[in-house]
Amino acid sequence: MNYTISPEFIPIIDAIEVHLIGKRETIALSMATFFAGGHLLLEDIPGVGKTTLAKYLSVVLGLDFGRIQFTSDMLPSDILGINYYNQKEGSFVFKKGPIFSSFLLADEINRSMPKTQSALLQAMEEGVVTIDSVAYTLPQPFFVIGTQNPHEEVGTFVLPNSQLDRFMCSFGIGYPDKNSERIILQGIKDESTGKIKCMLTNEEIKMYMKKASMVTLSDMLLDFLQDIITYTRESGVFEYGLSMRGALALVSMVKSWAMMQGRTYATADDVQMVTSLVCAHRLVFKEGKTSPKRIYDEIFSTIHSDT
Amino acid sequence: MKFLVTLQNTKFSSLVLLDLAYVVVLAPLLLMLKVPMLVFVVLVVAILVFSSKPAKSWLIVVIFMLGGIAIYLSLYGAFSFRGLSRLKLFLELLIYVLIVVVSMQRLTREINIYLLLSPFFFLALSLFFFYGMLMLIYVIFEVFFLLWMILSHRMQGDILEGFRASMVMFMYSLPWVVVLFIFFPRISFEHASYGFKGETVQRMGHDGTMYLDNKALLVPSDRIVMEVGFEKKIPASHLLYFRGSMLYIDKKNHWEPIPSFVKRKEGLVEHKVNNEKTHYSVTLYPTQKKWLYLLDIPTQAAKESKLDRDLISTVKRKIREPMHYAAISTLRSKFYDTLDDYTLKISTAVHVNHNPKTLEEVLKIQEIHHTEAKRANALVKFFQSQSLTYTLKPEALDINHTTDSFLFDTKKGYCVHFASSFVTMARMLGIPARLVTGYKGDISNGLKNYLVIKERDAHAWAELYIDKHWVRYETTSTASHIETQAHSNQTKDTQNSMSSPLMKKINLYLMYAKYQVETWILYYSNIRQKQLLGYLKENPKFIFIFISSFITLVLVTLIFTVYFKRKVYDNKALESVQAILKILQERGFIRKKNETLHQYFLRYCEENVDKEAGTRLITQLDDSYEKLVYADKPTNLALKDFKKLVKKATKFKTY
Repeated sequence: MNYTISPEFIPIIDAIEVHLIGKRETIALSMATFFAGGHLLLEDIPGVGKTTLAKYLSVVLGLDFGRIQFTSDMLPSDILGINYYNQKEGSFVFKKGPIFSSFLLADEINRSMPKTQSALLQAMEEGVVTIDSVAYTLPQPFFVIGTQNPHEEVGTFVLPNSQLDRFMCSFGIGYPDKNSERIILQGIKDESTGKIKCMLTNEEIKMYMKKASMVTLSDMLLDFLQDIITYTRESGVFEYGLSMRGALALVSMVKSWAMMQGRTYATADDVQMVTSLVCAHRLVFKEGKTSPKRIYDEIFSTIHSDT
Repeated sequence: MKFLVTLQNTKFSSLVLLDLAYVVVLAPLLLMLKVPMLVFVVLVVAILVFSSKPAKSWLIVVIFMLGGIAIYLSLYGAFSFRGLSRLKLFLELLIYVLIVVVSMQRLTREINIYLLLSPFFFLALSLFFFYGMLMLIYVIFEVFFLLWMILSHRMQGDILEGFRASMVMFMYSLPWVVVLFIFFPRISFEHASYGFKGETVQRMGHDGTMYLDNKALLVPSDRIVMEVGFEKKIPASHLLYFRGSMLYIDKKNHWEPIPSFVKRKEGLVEHKVNNEKTHYSVTLYPTQKKWLYLLDIPTQAAKESKLDRDLISTVKRKIREPMHYAAISTLRSKFYDTLDDYTLKISTAVHVNHNPKTLEEVLKIQEIHHTEAKRANALVKFFQSQSLTYTLKPEALDINHTTDSFLFDTKKGYCVHFASSFVTMARMLGIPARLVTGYKGDISNGLKNYLVIKERDAHAWAELYIDKHWVRYETTSTASHIETQAHSNQTKDTQNSMSSPLMKKINLYLMYAKYQVETWILYYSNIRQKQLLGYLKENPKFIFIFISSFITLVLVTLIFTVYFKRKVYDNKALESVQAILKILQERGFIRKKNETLHQYFLRYCEENVDKEAGTRLITQLDDSYEKLVYADKPTNLALKDFKKLVKKATKFKTY
């Protein structure tokens, strides 16, 4: 896929790439998801750098990092927080859970019980946590990276479709290519570049988010987008079509990806780039296995953009 | 606009489309439906509106019975076996039956082939009842509408797309219709009676007899008796005398023609003609009489008619349908004739004792003047000296002494009284004289070569036989006064509708346009075709005008077609870039199936690094194209620049 990342984001990607060699595209797409105001679901086998990506991304963005390692015996209060009785003061005090951070890594989200999963996902959608009928607002921006192991692994609870819908994008990291792998195996690490620091201020983040939302979608592009959305619903190859939330996610992601390339307008290329990422966890083929590549091929072999 | 958007999103079902078609084709027929049938139609529509389920079979039986009753009531009195020989009654019955049958089928809410075909039957049947200009326009609309509905049905009820497609089809076919129309004349319904009887509409104003008392048929209305199209300009008003009938016998209160059993020598009297011949064609509306009206002096009989020795032309049957005939006349006020004994006897017969005062005057003139011509002149002078008043509301005359009463007592009258007295006095003087009735054209009712004759133009004048010639005398011109007050009173009813001369003028123009369309479109026949060809032979210039106007029509339809044609590309930039894509494809650089243009151009640049100028041009093109298609509100200027760039790129040879 052809794209040129805007120069202002190159140093950031460079900085993270030191720790995640050969994954520039993944880094860029993660940032795009962040600027689009969505949450990201990283779905891959253990040990390809999911956690690394999340960790360094949070540092670069300068957000306060929280992490939850999901296990099968976790309870919702482990995420959200709890009201406990403070004997000294003689009253109930609310202890905030790890969810009260701007950048949350929900590691191996499918290992916990559905009850716990939904506690997180509701907070993700609404940005508000209600405990004992008191509403607590989550910090802004609020970005969740969920990681998930493929379903074949033993001891996992499959996330229902309705909950997956709350993630804007989903992709894997994959194995590095040969050259990158060699560099990693050689273990050459420049000490000076290893130190990573915050590279964006809060204002800059807000500015980029605003820029992403202001990206122009021309009529022709909207036609193209609507063709795609309609196709997922009416072609009959998928179990369900794209929901309205899914459609909105697609639009936000297209805009954000255009912004990442320094444009004020989105093109059909952007749509081709992000569609399979937005749809991968939302669409399920009626027959055969679902994969982002197959979704891409299915949609774009039928829906063409003349432009 | 909101309406249009709603329309775009609405898909109509076949039944709705069919209903719309029925509404359009039935609309003109509703004007002729009798009340019981109208009630029946309203009832059916009400059932359709208030119940959305298919009607039960008992309801259909009820509707059938009600339909039968409605037909019976509608045709009550008119219906008899003999009555069916009248075309329109027969067709009316046909329409009623069709309405009942269609209603029954429509109530089942199932579409069958008969329900689909019936709109066309209704359309065809309505043409028998309405065949004017408006109907012509409406039929064009109906044909278009039915086409639209059919196409919409084929397009799953998308009526906007259907409209677009039918407009394109309609526009494509229009020039062909014109060509077919010109080369294949047809018989109009007007001329074909199909063995049915005609209808009874009549025009008044001129009658075979002429009454002098209050029975006089004086209809100063604006109803049109005939429309005359001259080959050249309309002649002057004083030449526009249309001969109707000839009256010889004075019956005190009225004049009569020679009885039909009297056989006179047949045939047209040959005479030398030096005057220019005037060609004209006439559309005569039903008069229920046998006379055709020809301009003085007709040179030959019009088609199907007979010209008697008084130059009166008649047809065998009463005129019940509009009649079209071409005629030739020489515009003169006198013509040569020889009198046979009978004519001489009857044109000099006079009751000398009926009008003693007149007789005195006659004797005076006879003493002074001795030739017929001089006596006739003296007669005119005498009329002028009597200070007679022309009025449309004269006082009653003494029926036993009509001439005396008019000339010496009341001194008021209109053309009939003037002419009658003049003829009586001429006969007393020994000059053979007769009365002519007909119409006198008024040039203010004309436009270019088109003249309308109205009922108010009915007229009577005298003909005196002097020096072997019949000479026309315009007797009303001897009037000293014209009572305009009375005249305008008479026209009060019509004055409201045409209060100003401007309105009159506009009305005349409209009638002229209508007449032209009727002559050349509605009544276009093989005769007209020959006429057109003859005209073309004489005026080669007209061929040029004709061809150029045809080309204009083709161009106009082409513009419409292009306008309504579905655009292949919505975006103008996308449209113009196709030229480059075509060139690149021809060079063997094929665009992949799901490649965006940006990717295609990029791939080109990557694969053709060596062709520097080409890649530079393509990159430039790609950049500006992307901005045009995706960026916010591209300006016209940018589009222009882009088109220039594309032009430049198409001229570039070495891709």
